[in-house]
Amino acid sequence: MNELDRLAESVDSLKNHLEVHRYICSNQIATAVYLAYHLRKPVLIEGPPGVGKTELAKTTAEMFQLPLIRLQCYEGLDESKAIYEWKYGKQLLYTQVLKETLDEVLQGAQGFRESVGRLHEFGDIFFSQEFMEPRPLLKALQEEQGCVLLIDEVDKSDHEFESLLLEILSDFQVSIPEIGTVKALREPPMVFLTSNNTREISDALKRRCLHLYIPFPDMELEQRIIHARVPEIPELLRKQLVAFIQELRDMDLKKVPAISETIDWARTLLLLHTETLDPDLVRETLNVILKFQEDIDNINTDIPSITHKAVNA
Amino acid sequence: MDRTLTSFISALRTAEVRISPAETLDALSAVELTGYQDREFLKNTLALVLPKTIDEKETFDNTFEEFFNFVDISAQRTKSDETDGDRGDDGATSSESQGRGSGSRSQGAGTGGGASQELTDETDSEDLGRGPLAEPTSRLGQLLMRNDRIELNVQVAKSAKAVRLEEIQVFTQKGLYTRRILDEMGLAELQREINSSKESAELPIRRLGRELRHRQDWLREQVRDYVEKQFLLHADAQGLRLREELLRKVKLSNVEHRNFRLVQEIVYRMAKKLVALHSRRKKVFKRGVLNVSRTLRHNMSYDGNIFDLHWKSVKVDRPNVFAICDVSGSVSNYARFMLMFLYSLEEVMPKVRSFAFSSDLGEVTELFERNSLEDAIAKTLRDYGSGSTDYGQALLDFRKKCSNDIDNRTTIIILGDARNNYGDAHQSVLKELYDLSKRVIWLNPESRTTWNTGDAIMRKYTPYVHQAEECNSLVHLERVVSNLLRTVQ
Repeated sequence: MNELDRLAESVDSLKNHLEVHRYICSNQIATAVYLAYHLRKPVLIEGPPGVGKTELAKTTAEMFQLPLIRLQCYEGLDESKAIYEWKYGKQLLYTQVLKETLDEVLQGAQGFRESVGRLHEFGDIFFSQEFMEPRPLLKALQEEQGCVLLIDEVDKSDHEFESLLLEILSDFQVSIPEIGTVKALREPPMVFLTSNNTREISDALKRRCLHLYIPFPDMELEQRIIHARVPEIPELLRKQLVAFIQELRDMDLKKVPAISETIDWARTLLLLHTETLDPDLVRETLNVILKFQEDIDNINTDIPSITHKAVNA
Repeated sequence: MDRTLTSFISALRTAEVRISPAETLDALSAVELTGYQDREFLKNTLALVLPKTIDEKETFDNTFEEFFNFVDISAQRTKSDETDGDRGDDGATSSESQGRGSGSRSQGAGTGGGASQELTDETDSEDLGRGPLAEPTSRLGQLLMRNDRIELNVQVAKSAKAVRLEEIQVFTQKGLYTRRILDEMGLAELQREINSSKESAELPIRRLGRELRHRQDWLREQVRDYVEKQFLLHADAQGLRLREELLRKVKLSNVEHRNFRLVQEIVYRMAKKLVALHSRRKKVFKRGVLNVSRTLRHNMSYDGNIFDLHWKSVKVDRPNVFAICDVSGSVSNYARFMLMFLYSLEEVMPKVRSFAFSSDLGEVTELFERNSLEDAIAKTLRDYGSGSTDYGQALLDFRKKCSNDIDNRTTIIILGDARNNYGDAHQSVLKELYDLSKRVIWLNPESRTTWNTGDAIMRKYTPYVHQAEECNSLVHLERVVSNLLRTVQ
């Protein structure tokens, strides 16, 4: 564990280590990981799509060399898919077996009272760990060395599921009616929740979490990110394409390009052996960064001026 | 140290960032971990723990800059005149006084210069020379002469705490609190010393008296600044809350125009809250996805033979509402608010259809969808508000337009005073609607006693509504809608 502690000794050290794992981040983000590690509080990450919310959890797991357990949320997700489920088939078999051995158990019993007494003595394992199938949340609690638990796109799940999460988020335990409370083993997991803001997350959930908002990066940070992710790209082109993207983000678009789009674009341009941006090239590769035809049509006329601006930036 | 944080949190709360006690505890433990040494680190840390929405983050940034602004001040340090002597320590060290006293210090440079200016003026009237000073005897005098700003600020903060400055509510109390803080700090004792020094024959004592007087004036100013700052942090928003509370109770026709925005916000929040509270319910289904665990558990008693099936499904249920609003002259004062409420309701509830009438009735649902609130209301009043009221005609129109869409899940709300200009009431139409729908609710802005006076014919309509209520303030409105949503389910 000591090694991890040394890793998380300070915000700067975390930031550097995240960078080693090719995740370039601001101080705010590194501070969030720092607090999550030391306070063992879940982090709720919000922000536009494609700014690296999920990636942060993945990289953190990689950095701490912990297993990553991921729960993808969707409408209709419930406890049987998130926490635990009984192995029904085996349970049914067990009742069959039980029926057959009943005679042996009750052999020689005098009267009803004694029979029931014998039955009670007989171990009841119908609802027990043996017949339980752990799902991601329970698995995360049972990891010996701790783990990183990623609850992805929590805003896509229902209200009920949110309430289900409260117990695990605040106390790192889940209550299973038939068995009792299952607590985290030695090391509680580091929990990251991500949300795209499709709906408002309840106050109760927010209250239990650190709240991290990841905005689009500024020019400098984005350049460093591209440098880390696509190191082969020449510096001049990198500057130009980041400037272009930054320019696009200020425009009125249905969906503005995120970091992941910038990275894709950088890879595309690299593949085409581009050295510098020009309007025709931009027009041809625009569908990598803009995902709506409407947006593409809208900026079509502006491409030369934006390109010019980006090239001369 | 913790006090600084709690007072920062209360400042955040007045700036409308919602922070629960649990989050306060989180903040304390987070700060325990990070310490106050690094300002950016502290800000990043608190930004993770306290604000929980994007809007709140912005407010947080501003409040943080306001509250912990001592670094900027030490940067604008100018010449090292006497009163500014120990400004250098201000930096990033963090004592309670610095957080709280930052306001007073921000004025330090200006008043410091001013004080030395006055000093020379005074020497003209009474030349005492620049010789040695006597030792001050009063407690406050000693403090002032020690010239230790940090300690002074601590004292100001302590005294402010003692006189409960954080309870300040309106700006007229500022003078009072300034006075109280000074008294608490021992002003009386200081003044006695100053007075007695005047009569003294010894030069050093008289010089001291003069110096003390200057410093007393300076202190007074510092305290006033401090009070000002605390007022902004603690009381400004309380005034807002007070106003909101008042607006909820006042009659809608009496709300002044400048408060419309505020009312609008209250109405919107109200509508949203009500819908959120009442829109979900569970319904047992006869088909859908099999609920395996429940099915098995229920069938355990049948030897594990599965024949009693259980399904799972949740239905999100939103009431189906038709709202008819009278916008004629007699209710014009209320119509704005009723329309405002309809508009807000439509924003949060997908299945509201709105109608407006004075003589002829028309549907305004789309108008509301397409336009901003102000425009929508203005257009509605323009299009429908000119005629003279005819409830009978409006009901006929409504039946013609919507009778096919009304079923036993529908609620019809009628907003109006039932002043029919002695026309035909057509209450039979209302009866038809009453039979068709689940509920008919009539909200009348006039008080119950006037419901049947003059040309008002409430009495003809009341037999055919499930509920008739007086409704002329936001509190009424809230109650009615809450009932409505509850009974609709």
